Amino acid sequence: MAIFLIDNTREYSYEMLVDRINQHRNYYPLFKSSDLFSYFENIVKAIITNQSLVLIDSDLNPSELDDLDESKVNESVSLGEYYFSNIDQVISALKESKSEITIFTSGTTGQPKKVIHSINSLTRVVRIGEKYKNNIWAYAYNPTHMAGLQVFFQAFVNNNTLVNVFNDSRSEVYQKISKYQVTHISATPTFYRLLLPFEKSYRCVQRVTFGGEKSDNRLYENILMIFPEAKINNVYASTEAGSLFAAKGDNFQISESNKDKFKVVDDELLIHKSLLGKSESFKFEGDYYHSGDLIEWVDKGEGIFKFKSRKNELINIGGYKVNPIEVEDVINEIVGVRQSLVYGKANSVLGNILIAEVQLSGDIILSDLDIRKILKSKLQDFKIPRKIKFVDSFSLTRTGKIKRS
Amino acid sequence: MENKVLEIINKIREAKNLQPVSELQITDNLREDLELTSFDLAELTVNLEDEYDIDIFEDGLVNTVGEIYKKLQN
Repeated sequence: MAIFLIDNTREYSYEMLVDRINQHRNYYPLFKSSDLFSYFENIVKAIITNQSLVLIDSDLNPSELDDLDESKVNESVSLGEYYFSNIDQVISALKESKSEITIFTSGTTGQPKKVIHSINSLTRVVRIGEKYKNNIWAYAYNPTHMAGLQVFFQAFVNNNTLVNVFNDSRSEVYQKISKYQVTHISATPTFYRLLLPFEKSYRCVQRVTFGGEKSDNRLYENILMIFPEAKINNVYASTEAGSLFAAKGDNFQISESNKDKFKVVDDELLIHKSLLGKSESFKFEGDYYHSGDLIEWVDKGEGIFKFKSRKNELINIGGYKVNPIEVEDVINEIVGVRQSLVYGKANSVLGNILIAEVQLSGDIILSDLDIRKILKSKLQDFKIPRKIKFVDSFSLTRTGKIKRS
Repeated sequence: MENKVLEIINKIREAKNLQPVSELQITDNLREDLELTSFDLAELTVNLEDEYDIDIFEDGLVNTVGEIYKKLQN
């Protein structure tokens, strides 16, 4: 029987999951658990019995969310009679489910927002078939958020194995990739940067997917050294809309069938409401939602585009608008830099001044002036951070993105 | 304090490929004598703020080195 989940050293088969579903005919609409198997069991049970569910983080303090009734957390609800004779029946029920799943944005900035999704919108890009059958996934996302759900559904409907590596250290991740012969990894650039520098290659990995934040070519090159057999792709998944486009390299494509569901106004991507979950926090203009993502056409006729930045991320420095992502990309290209974070700090002379936090890799020695000199040959003066702080680590959001305060 | 201000100003000059100055006069004008642009002045403020927790430009313009000393002494 196929292995469903490997968490720490424990292995859970699909058969065990079916048994648990049949034995315990109850579920928790508002479930908080750090045990991944119980968490997935609860999701699957709710979905295949058409119940609604709210996904909250295991470390979440309910006071962080406005309209959450703390007394309802981990309150059990009976599901009545049912029986599933095998995992195929469970998967069939899942595909036809009418459940509504509520998730929260992690927010690299601001308060979490609530979004309600149907199973249909959560599984929109899930692929099923022979070629997906024997995949073994390193599970590198938080399971309560969109990207984590996407990977879970993709793996689950194909009877794949999930190996939990979320929040693991570098050596733990490598040890698991090797031990369980992981074939697929889907994670944030921040996760992949954790794996650098290259020391040893792992040929078992066939597919490496980047999502959540913008990555850069140097990171791709390094990751390809570590996983030389892997194909790299990007994914665009938001809490608001789920997965909308898959991509090759840095580009994304709007499919022919979805062509009328997107508009681009002032470089911003607008998404038709039919593709979104439901949320009171969405602001529509007509039937379209402002994604806040700024894009650039690569081939407009073919619907191919690339992401430039987030709209609200532009920083005004003495009247010049700076895209911090662009600056981070250039800093990250410097040999010896593992990762960087660029942000504006209020300043009485310019309104804002640009600050960079830089994490160096290994025992590389670079001074702030060294970095600024390199940037000088690549960026206009107003885009060069006037203060560079060296840090040992960055604080991350619940989904593993760098936190922008 | 005076040495610290000198050190910060020289670092800003170094980043612009200007020669360091050996000493500061209280009459030195930040823009004209020390060749600092508004971006450089912003950098100066942020570094002084980190060091002394005082925003020298908070209530208006500071033009000379003497005026900086005065702000930091208050």
